[in-house]
This record gives sequence, structure tokens and C-alpha cells, in this order.
Amino acid sequence: MGKLKKMAVGVLCASMLLGCVGCGDSKETAGETIVLRILENDTAKKEGYLDALLEAFNAEYKDKGIQAVDANMDEYTDLAANGPYGYGPDVIYQANDKLMTYAEDKHILPIDVESLDCYSVTPEAAWEAFKINIDGTTYTCGIPVNIQEPMLFYRLDMMPEDWESNWDKDGNKVADFFENWNDLYAYSKYLRDTDTSANGDSQYGFMSSLNNLYLNGEFLFSYGAYVFGSNDDGTLNAADIGLSAGDAAKGLMAMKQMASLMNEGCIDDTIIMKRYEKLADGSYFCVVSTPDTYSLFIEKLALAYEAEGLSAKEAEEKAKENLMMIELPGKLPADGDLTKSSDAMTEDDWIDTVVMGGVNGYGISSYTKYKDACMEFVNFATSYEMIQTRMNTLGIAPTRSDVAEASGGVTDMIFESLSEGRIYLMPSIKAVDQIWVPAQSLMGDIAKDPYREAAGELGKYVTIGQLEEAIEKVDQDIYDAIFTLKD
Amino acid sequence: MKREKPSKIVIASCCIMGAGQLLSKQWIKGLLYLFIFAAYVTYMVTSGMNDIKGFFTLGTVRGDAWLGIQGDDSIMMMLRGIFAFLLTAMFVALHISNVKDAKGLAKRLEVGKELPGFLQATQIFLDKKFYIVALLLPVIGVLIFNVLPIIFMILISFTNYGGDIVPPELVDWIGLGNFEKILSLTEIKDTFFRILSWNFVWAFLATAVNYFGGLGLALLLNKKCVKHKGFWRMFPILAYAVPGFITMLAFKFMFSYGGPINYYITMSGHSAIGFLDIDAGWTARIIGIAVNAWITIPTSMLLATGILSNMNTDLYEAASIDGASKWKQFIKITLPFVVFSTTPVLITNFIGNFNNFGVFYFLRGGLYNDGYFLASDTDLLINWLYNLSIDNNYYGIGAAISLIIFIITSVFSLLVYVRSDAYKKEDTYR
Repeated sequence: MGKLKKMAVGVLCASMLLGCVGCGDSKETAGETIVLRILENDTAKKEGYLDALLEAFNAEYKDKGIQAVDANMDEYTDLAANGPYGYGPDVIYQANDKLMTYAEDKHILPIDVESLDCYSVTPEAAWEAFKINIDGTTYTCGIPVNIQEPMLFYRLDMMPEDWESNWDKDGNKVADFFENWNDLYAYSKYLRDTDTSANGDSQYGFMSSLNNLYLNGEFLFSYGAYVFGSNDDGTLNAADIGLSAGDAAKGLMAMKQMASLMNEGCIDDTIIMKRYEKLADGSYFCVVSTPDTYSLFIEKLALAYEAEGLSAKEAEEKAKENLMMIELPGKLPADGDLTKSSDAMTEDDWIDTVVMGGVNGYGISSYTKYKDACMEFVNFATSYEMIQTRMNTLGIAPTRSDVAEASGGVTDMIFESLSEGRIYLMPSIKAVDQIWVPAQSLMGDIAKDPYREAAGELGKYVTIGQLEEAIEKVDQDIYDAIFTLKD
Repeated sequence: MKREKPSKIVIASCCIMGAGQLLSKQWIKGLLYLFIFAAYVTYMVTSGMNDIKGFFTLGTVRGDAWLGIQGDDSIMMMLRGIFAFLLTAMFVALHISNVKDAKGLAKRLEVGKELPGFLQATQIFLDKKFYIVALLLPVIGVLIFNVLPIIFMILISFTNYGGDIVPPELVDWIGLGNFEKILSLTEIKDTFFRILSWNFVWAFLATAVNYFGGLGLALLLNKKCVKHKGFWRMFPILAYAVPGFITMLAFKFMFSYGGPINYYITMSGHSAIGFLDIDAGWTARIIGIAVNAWITIPTSMLLATGILSNMNTDLYEAASIDGASKWKQFIKITLPFVVFSTTPVLITNFIGNFNNFGVFYFLRGGLYNDGYFLASDTDLLINWLYNLSIDNNYYGIGAAISLIIFIITSVFSLLVYVRSDAYKKEDTYR
């Protein structure tokens, strides 16, 4: 046998041995200590809340032999795919729709919620988001932490100087354009009409990427639309899709009117991407976003102030003073016509704004070996102190009534909105995954209509009838996506 | 020492691996065969039989994590079944080699030849069958990492895996059910044929643009009148060096409403253009072709540059003397030579473009058009497959579509290749 062949055989054997070494068991033993893997969202990690939580928990439970660590996984890791094979987290933080998708297949455990400290101070509506009915029995599979709903962000120092005299007709010290959509439309129109910049793109009023159902759900749900209807036993019926229900088409007409006062960025994600920067530079008067992005707005606004010559500390303080986060205007016109003057409208002409929202919370993986330790962790993580820390660090709206009350202001308002049904919670069933793209495709297309018309083309959604037809088609598309391939 | 009769050796090896070798006093070889036999029998008794059974049933006990019932994992059972079949096939191959070896031993004994010792036999084997030794590891690797997933994917297309049927639910075999759905359900069928026809148009256009774009650029940069060729060649290479998805995301931003293209359009007093909107249609398709060209033309250019450097310049000289125009020279000399040399690459490019996932995923993902089921009018089959299987969990249907893509692309490439000059006239330019 030639030398070359011998060498080749040697190399092959060596590679095989190395391969075997590489395949060796690399598991680490945790000794006597129970190690819990906690999956939190990226913002909590980035802003340092997760570290604070883990540190506090580990200090408290040091003597009890429980240690919590960052699961170090993608925030949207698939528990259904990884959990059964031992790779998932022990405790997972997610929105109710995602968490309950896991609950449907029993990937997260039902919890004896009454044993938790937060039980009595959390509203029933928040618990409802985590309830599931299996074989006639109702289980609760998540522990609510905070409420998510689209919020309006604006700068106090960008308020019109005359707002108290000209934009507060009822004199309640709240600008009318933050109370009803017709005045928000009117003020946005005023800003557009008085934009004297060369390209007419220096001042906009209300701005939102209208292709986003979650951020713009008020144009549907305020008018009687719903995602899934209910069965007689109260469970959700995925076959009953109701985005076109009620006067949803009127809401979409209002959305189209609003789109005409934005720019083409409302058709796609452009406004979502630029909102922090554009609010900071004053081009956008107010934008829609979720509470967990509060810190990002502060960051950009502080940078803008720094650019104006303030020190980093002063800039941050000024940003915190000036950045306002409030709920969306509470009243929409019943007929969907935003162009009408609010002066000419009576109380009956308004309907309450209902936004789409969600409740984020903790779930415990069914594949954890340490259920009791996980319960200890979620009990600790939903304690008054930790929820308050979370609220202060991340700007979230807690589901704990005591923390919300103590905080007051917006937090309490969001809490009230949830309790009073002004937040349409994302349905907690798997089929909800199918609603986003069809709805997003239509909403983007409707937002484009004013720009078609401005370019001399024919609008696709000129009449209410056309909008009705389009939204009914979306219902059908969602139905098809859910049921076409079912056996 | 007395040796057994030759016929007994073969019969013994047929019954028990290595027995014939042991009877022939080939101790080490016999024991090795026997060890393999014992290992296989042990595997089959302890797990293999169940794995094969499980492959057919795909599980009978539904798991319930709340009740602590582990249940059967249909997908793992299928994988383990495939593995058991592969091991059995390998065992059969080894058994055949064992019988052949026993026959060889018997033959040598019959003619009274001395049997080689283990070391000598090993040396002879390594010398004469070196290719087996060299290829064994790669073949095992290919079997585990390539063949097994392909078989798995093919088999998934014959199951109802997906939708609500995901673990802990039990998966079932449904025969050609998924293929029937693709070809019978109106929405799926219409979407499939719409996407398939666009997929062919896309693959032809993208391949042609990339190929001729690269060739044109190479010819241009090959011209004597072009100075600082290395400098100019650097630019396409730079475009190639940037990771593809970064380029695609950058293009998506460029063509978005907030991007620089629309910025300049609006600055010049015109309305912004929805290049990638839901009703963008052919605008979006053409942008996709252009973006793909940006990413792939550099590769074609490099390839063509290499090939052109091997061209015989005498041919051009002769053609010029005969009065052939530059165009004629290109058509009759350059193109045939380049096409001949690059036919296999051309086929690879076509297949690559046919299955080009990135371009429209990054440029225009997250849109569904009217008349399409979970797809948009720019989606290729591979994007649709992704929408169905990853975004919407319809794994069975997704696997069926991927099998169809596999059949289309393999048949097409085989047909084109065997009919090409590169295959038929292999020696033409040698």
C-alpha cells in the first residue's frame, strides 16, 4: 500500500475519531441547585429589566436552591418545536395569543392561579385572556403581567401655542384632537395645509403605518368588527370571522380619510421604521406605537435635544418631560366621516374607540422538570415590587391594579380601558395567526387609495359598498386559510 | 489443523455472518462479522423492530403533557423507521459481502491455496478496494445528512402532518392525499399553476439576464480599449462580496416609500411610486429580476472572464479575414464556446433561480394577492412552500410541493444536459 493511501486512511480515521469526540455529551450538571431557564422579551433584556429580575430572584431564593437564568433564546422561540426535546425555556413570557397557542396543544401548564399573590389584584379581563376550554373544563394557562395596546406618542413642546384657546372647546384642559378623531383629523389637516416647506413634507399630524392591523384596529373594532365569534359555551369559533361585521366598512372609510393626510409611508412599514426619528425631529406631531417602545422614543428625542446643544443628562430629562404617551382619542364618528366638524356633532354621533390589544404574561412550560420552582418564580416576577420595577424600567402598563393605581396617569387609564372593554384582546387561539397577512394586505391597499386618486388614477375603494366587498373578501380569505387544508 | 468443507463455510456464513470465516480459522475477520451480526440483531430486538413497526403506524398513543403521558412522536418514529431501514440495507450489503468473502475463502480452499492472514487480507483490501475505504465516511455522511432528510421530506408529503396535526397529535399516512389537494382544490390548484408559470418565466428571465449580463460585462472588460481593467472588475466583485440578504434588504428600503428613490421622485415634483405594493405586479417582478441580476452578474462575469481567457484568438483573426462582422464573430465563435463550457453551470443557475427563495421573500414578503392562496403574485413555488409550511404549518402540502419542484427541476436539468453539446460532444474543444 502506497504512503499516500496510508496517510489518507490515517486522516479518515482521525477525522472519524474527532467526529466522535465532537459528538460527546456536553451536558453540564447543575448539582443540587435547580436552574430555571427564563425567556423574556428582547426589550426587557436590552433595558436591563431581566438582569434586575434574575438578580432579585436569585438573591431571594439562594437558600432554597433555586436559580433563574436567562434562557438565551430568541424571544419568539417555538416552544412546541423545542420543548418536547428538552430545549425550550422553563418559564416563557409572551403575548396572550402566542402563549395560548401553546396552551391549545398543552405545551404550557394550567396554573393554580388563585395561589398567586397577584390573583386578587388582577382584573378578570386579563385572566380571561389566558383561559382555555378543553373537554368542557376551563383552565388558566398564563399569568398576566402587562397590557399592550396602541398608544399615541407626542411631544409636549410641539403642542400648538393656541391649543387651549382654539383646540379645547370644552375647556377640560385636554386638547380636542386627543379626545376625538374628527378633531385629530382637523388638526392634521391644518398642519398639512400650513406646511410651507419646499416639498410640503415638514409637518404631519397623526401618523401611522396603516397596513398594520394591530396598531390600527380601532378602525374596525370600534365599528362592531370582531376577529372570531363565540360558540354557545363561550369558546371562540374560528369559523365565524367577523372583520367585516357591523359597520367595519365605515371605519375603513375613516382610515382612508386619515391616510390622505399622511404620506405614502402609511401604505407600508415606513412610518413604523421612522416614527422615533420623525417625532424627535418634529416632522410628525403624533404617532402610534406600543408602550414597550417608550424607551426608544426617549432615546431618539434625547439625541435630538443633544444635537440642539444640551448635555446628555439634560437632554434625557427634557425628553422625559416632553414625551407624552396617551391612549388614542376615545371617540370616532359613528358614520365614519372624519371630515365633519366636531362642532356639528351630537353625543349620538360618536362611538367609543375600541383598540386591539393584548395581555403579555408568563407561562410555564409543560416540559419543565421543576414546576413548583417555576411557580415560585412567576409568583416572584408578578409581585408588586417586580411589576413596579418593570413598569418603571420599560414603561409598560401593568395588569396589577395596585401598581396601576399607585402609578396613576396613563397606566391607570390603560388598566381601566381593559377593565371596561375598550381593548379588544387578540383572540387566544391558533387560528389567529391567519388573520394578519390578509388584513394587512387590504389595509395597505386602502391606505394607498388617496394616493391613487391624487395621481389621477381611479380609486379602488371609493364607496362604502366597495369597502364592504373588500373586507368580506378578507374574511373569506382568512376562512380559507384556516379551513381549506383541514381534513 | 483440519479445515471445514468449502460448501459448509459458505452455508455457515449465509446463516450467521462471520461463521464461515471462523470455520476457516479467519478469527479476526470472522469475529468482526460476528460482532456486526450480533450488534444488528441486538439493535433489531431492542429497538429496530419497534422502529420499523412505528414507521408504519406512526404512533398509537397521543401524548398529553398535562397528564404526564409522553405519547408517540410520529415524526421521530418516522425518522427512526427510516434509520432502521437504512441500517438494514447496510446490514444486507455487509451480509452479502460476508457471503462473497466466504465464497472466496471456499474457492481458495478448494484449489488448495493458503488463506491470507487478517493483516495481509486487510492490506490487500486497502490496496485493491481503496475507493471503498476513502468513500466510506463521506457516503455515511451523505446518507445521514443528505439522503435521510430527502427521504424524510418525500415521506412527509404522504402524511397529514401540519395544520392541527402537529405533535402531540398523531400523524397518519394519507397516500397521495396532499397531491390530490394540490391538483383538485380550486384555490390551491389555481395558485399552484399561476405560481408555476411565473416561476418558469422568472427562472428563464433571471438566468438569461444574469448569464448574458455577466458575459457582456466580461466581454466589455476584456476589450483592449478598456484601461485599468482590474479596477473596473473590482466593482462587480464588491457587489458580490456583500451578503445577498443584506443587498436585498437594502434594495427593499431603496424602493420603499420612505427610501431614496421615492425621495428623489417626490423631490422632483412627482408622486411616489409603490414599487413593491400589493398591486405593483410586473413592476415588482422586474425589480426582482434586476436585484437578482445585481447579486449574480458578478459571478457570471468572473466565470465568463475565465473562459474568454482560454479563447483561441486565431479564430477571430481568421474570421476577420473572411469578413465576419463583430456580431457574427460573437454569434459563431464566442457564444458557442462559452455556452459549451458553461452548460452545466447554466443548468445550475437555472435551478438556483427556479428555487430562488431570497429575492421575493426579502423584497415583498408578507403580502397575499387576490386569486392566490397564501401567496402573492411575485412568490415563487419555494416562497409559497415557505408560506404554507413555515408560516402556516401545512408541512404535508409543503413537502408535496417540494417534491413536485424536485421532479420538475431534476427532469428539466437532466433533459437539457443530455441534449446539450457539453454532454454529447464532450471532446469538441479538447
